[in-house]
Amino acid sequence: MISPKEDISLLEREPRFEDSFCSIQAVPKIPKIQHKETRILVSHARRFNDEVVRPLALKTDLHSFEDPEYLPWDLVKKANEWGFYTMFIPKLFGGQGWSLPSHTYVIEELSSACVGIANVIFVHYLGFMTCLASWNMPLVNRICRDVAEGERTGNPCLITLAITEPGAGTDVEEVELVDRGRVTCLAEKVKGGYIVNGSKIFISMGHVSTWHAVVAYSDLKKPSENTVILAVKTGTKGFSFGKHEDKMGQRACCASELVFEDCFIPDDCVLCDSRDFHNSPIRSTADLVNQLIHYVVEVTRASVGAFGTGVARGAYEHALKFAGETAVDGKLLINHEWAQIMLAEMYKNVIAARLAYVEANYSNSLNGGVLNFLQIKPVYYYMKFVPQTVIDLFVVPFYKTKIFNWFMRQVFVEGQSVEAQHRCSGWSSIAKFFGTDMGMKNSQMALEMMGQTGLRHDQGTEKILRDSKLLQIYEGTNQLNRLNLFNCLIARNVSQARVFEE
Amino acid sequence: MLTTIKCELKSFEDLAHSFAVKELAANREEHDRYPFGPFFDSVVTKAHEVGLLGATLPEECGGIGQDISALCIILDHICAADASLGGIIFTNALSQEIILAAGNKDLLADIMGNAADARAALIACTSFANPAETGTTLEAVKIEDSYLLNGAIEYVVLGGLSGQALVPAKIKGQEGYSYFLVNLSDRGIAKSQPVFSLGLHACSAVDLKLVGVAGKIIGQEGAGAKYFNHASDRMHAAVAAVQCGIMKGSFHEALDYSQQRCQGGKEIINWSGLRMILGQMAVQVKIAEMVVSEAAMAVENQEYQWNLYTRAAALHLSELACKLTTDGIQCLGGNGYMKDYGQEKRFRDAKHVQAFLGLAPMKKLSIIKDMLA
Repeated sequence: MISPKEDISLLEREPRFEDSFCSIQAVPKIPKIQHKETRILVSHARRFNDEVVRPLALKTDLHSFEDPEYLPWDLVKKANEWGFYTMFIPKLFGGQGWSLPSHTYVIEELSSACVGIANVIFVHYLGFMTCLASWNMPLVNRICRDVAEGERTGNPCLITLAITEPGAGTDVEEVELVDRGRVTCLAEKVKGGYIVNGSKIFISMGHVSTWHAVVAYSDLKKPSENTVILAVKTGTKGFSFGKHEDKMGQRACCASELVFEDCFIPDDCVLCDSRDFHNSPIRSTADLVNQLIHYVVEVTRASVGAFGTGVARGAYEHALKFAGETAVDGKLLINHEWAQIMLAEMYKNVIAARLAYVEANYSNSLNGGVLNFLQIKPVYYYMKFVPQTVIDLFVVPFYKTKIFNWFMRQVFVEGQSVEAQHRCSGWSSIAKFFGTDMGMKNSQMALEMMGQTGLRHDQGTEKILRDSKLLQIYEGTNQLNRLNLFNCLIARNVSQARVFEE
Repeated sequence: MLTTIKCELKSFEDLAHSFAVKELAANREEHDRYPFGPFFDSVVTKAHEVGLLGATLPEECGGIGQDISALCIILDHICAADASLGGIIFTNALSQEIILAAGNKDLLADIMGNAADARAALIACTSFANPAETGTTLEAVKIEDSYLLNGAIEYVVLGGLSGQALVPAKIKGQEGYSYFLVNLSDRGIAKSQPVFSLGLHACSAVDLKLVGVAGKIIGQEGAGAKYFNHASDRMHAAVAAVQCGIMKGSFHEALDYSQQRCQGGKEIINWSGLRMILGQMAVQVKIAEMVVSEAAMAVENQEYQWNLYTRAAALHLSELACKLTTDGIQCLGGNGYMKDYGQEKRFRDAKHVQAFLGLAPMKKLSIIKDMLA
């Protein structure tokens, strides 16, 4: 028999067991009833697709070409009525508290009908995750309570992440690059707050959102150690919207320019300032900024993988319908053997892309993953069955205490090992670039199979191709995600390997 | 590359290149806009005036009388700037080739001779469909020596722009299909609005409904497939040239941008990952140039199985162009996805052009069928 010591040694060889089989480690620890939540949510998403997304997808797309000033207020209002904006916000912050990992399955459903509209909903959670990753509990709570109030009153309140700048796209997503980049968004510390100057571009849903998690820098010469994340509310003096982009696809979801001119943000709207970070034994200030960014993308890149999976599925479903209805060379296309093989290939692409984002979810559900805490059984059942009023009365008041914030940082900042960070970040990158590549592949295949019919806007298939391409670009280009995978899960075994240093 | 083999065609290269620079490049975004407007009319008029719409049309029909190489050179350069005009030139040339294959030179001479303007000279057709594959829903009834057409037909390219259209229809009681020329101002024709589509926005198509419309038969009854196949075999070389042009446009914009955009403290071209993508694109462009050249020469020299070369060229370059234009956007990151740059249009156009002349997978099957015949 293999001794326990030898066993560990063998399993720590590459590919490491812990990194390779996330699902079989995570599933036994996940509360059993969580999958029922997923079933309910997928069913809810399918109904939303039938009643809202499919009837509006093509109309909205066409309308956005006819009216360049179109902003998706109508869709935001609908999504708000259906409860999508608080659905995955934990009850700790006044949200509905549905299981956070389930959001990816909902994304796939909505994206299979229209990825633009899916973004109208889920870009909001990119903003939420950024707020959460600051672990500034009082401010996260304040913002999320605004979202809940917006749902109750019918005045939608959405959150965005504003990070990309005109001269810095890839640079701002990587701490190792940002010091060499051309960042310009300056947050200057003054008495009682910060003065912000600069601009942000390509900010999804900017024009229709209320809160913006703005990544700025207190020292442009060394941004990696001087990162400030500010919560800026629409209407703040000195903050305005510039143009929104004329995009090829995903036109339901606007991409905005945010402009800051001597914009004063008070201290109580600062999510975090990296100069206040206390260095840990394993992380420098820049490493802590990196950890914060990766806490966000560990979830959101897996989400983009789910967008890609949904797109791949939508393209497959269009091709399948066409093949079942169209005669080519005297017989239905679906009865041509080559078409059956092509459809099977597309089906496989969907399944494989789904497996990747599901595995990324499981990676995030293991120790050190951001989804782990709320899936610990006592925490999960407490949150699920204890009434909101009890949480509001007996948990929320502690948010402002030092001990509570110390506890949160112990769990999420100190408590995450570098190995866990690499596992979660590596897997989310795999899900992102693989899922979105499959989205692009299936979109191309569907159009090949459909020929002239697929080209028409009124058929909807060409829109899938246009929408799909953006997924390979945002949330880190697929090239950057490949490098991140290399950095996280490959380079660690090759001591001479250097990333971003050529 | 073709002009190094056929130096006498250099003037066509110069003409197409200067036309692309002067008339197309600066207004590409405006010409691509939806809702459609008359913004492309002046471009088509000028293209007609300089002869771009009749490159392969015999001189006695009012054309320039060149072979497929000249058409390929024109399409290559035009499509590097804006493939929509390439789509117009292609569709019109396909109609002319079908009519020529049917031996109706006189008809073409009449059309060109009587055309008061570019619109009157253009001949619309269903350039994305192979009627033998998908069938035709138009029916023709013979009444003595004339024909009346009834039914509906989708996606007639240039149907909203031109004076006449070449449409396939089945003659009642007969096998196969025949081609008919119909006057698009005929009262029995109802046109849809231009169909909003993936790419080639300024080369739009319309759906037609015909009720008792007089049609002039092209060639012989039931011989439509024969004429289409002959024209299609030649025009596949032109499809390859369109894709080659789109690829060049995408590559050059990516190359220029990557020398200006900085990330990580240096121009992105100096990151080897990006440079590798550009290197792959450069290889694909050079291959495309060779493929177009060889395909065009195979047609002109009537080499053994020349039609397999042209079809292979179109199929291969379409696949390459769809891949290359995806990378073309990727090199520009978020900017590549915006309409301020030309990359997103080239990405759409390449996929659109892949559908010319019928379903791509069926074309591959037909190559084997012809090889075994």
